[in-house]
Amino acid sequence: MIGNESQNPELHDELTAYLDGELDAEAVRRVEERLARDPAYHAELQKLERAWDLLDRLPRSAVNESFTKTTIEMVALAASDDAAAAQQARPRRAKHLTAALGAVAAALVGFVAGHFLWPNPNAALLRDLPVIEHFELYYQADNIDFLKLLESEGLFAEQEGEHGG
Amino acid sequence: MLDVRDDNAAAFDELMLRYQNRLVTVLEHLVGRRDQAEDLAQEVFLRVYRARKRYVAGAKFSTWLYTIANHVAANALRSSSRRPEVNLTARPTESGSSNVLDKMALAASGAMPARQLDKAELRDIVRAALAGLSERQRMAVLLNKFEEMSYADIAVTMEMSPQAIKSLLSRARVNLKEILEPYLQDGHKPK
Repeated sequence: MIGNESQNPELHDELTAYLDGELDAEAVRRVEERLARDPAYHAELQKLERAWDLLDRLPRSAVNESFTKTTIEMVALAASDDAAAAQQARPRRAKHLTAALGAVAAALVGFVAGHFLWPNPNAALLRDLPVIEHFELYYQADNIDFLKLLESEGLFAEQEGEHGG
Repeated sequence: MLDVRDDNAAAFDELMLRYQNRLVTVLEHLVGRRDQAEDLAQEVFLRVYRARKRYVAGAKFSTWLYTIANHVAANALRSSSRRPEVNLTARPTESGSSNVLDKMALAASGAMPARQLDKAELRDIVRAALAGLSERQRMAVLLNKFEEMSYADIAVTMEMSPQAIKSLLSRARVNLKEILEPYLQDGHKPK
């Protein structure tokens, strides 16, 4: 018998799910079996069902044409606002893109111009590095033709080999 | 809805015509006032339109619609609860009763003569019983009763688990049964 069980939430969960057709086949079989042998359980189900059926007495709303018209107008207005916003955003986006491209181009032109107008001072040093490295030696020779003669004799090649080895 | 997503205005009008009465019905029983329900329904349709690009093919439109409606109604009820003049259970009714539940209590006390409830009274009693449920219970009941939604669909709409919806509806049914018990005895107001 149902007895104090009528306060049991699990019992009501089960009956509610049964009434809503949300139980699986096995649970339905169990509920129906108990309904057949337990009058109190059956009465509880009927009370729940009758209270639920009373909700059918609640009125259903029916809107008038003015509601439909106003809503469609509101949505149409929103659609045109969206379209206008998108159109406004488009030139703004194009303007931003042009500005960004202009900045990149200016930076590129600046770099190239700088490269040609202001030669790198380190480039001259790098070019003269072999001379700078042997400056002491050249200074002592005092004569460029004499040095060239020594180079043709292979004297410096021997020294370079020693340095390299 | 896919046509609406692809900016077909006629498709939106059709959807609106199909759902407007149903939506206003649910919202009216949820917030308790017809004018407010219509305002909220318009807001829901506007939000549906604005969110149309996010609609995923295969999703149930009714679930999507009522998810938005649930949010809109919850916000409205939160705002209403901050304004003391709005009271769902004590609102005036068509039959002239200022508080149907008080009348029911009076009837239950035996101070009123027994007689068959007329249709308007019964409707007011049921309406008051529904208003006596919590906001969530009310929404679940309305979706289940009026929209014939499954627990799974109500769960998606209300962003809860199906198990939680099962308990919510069970509690709602028990509360309704208890509130309506005097009438449920034999269809008459008790002596």
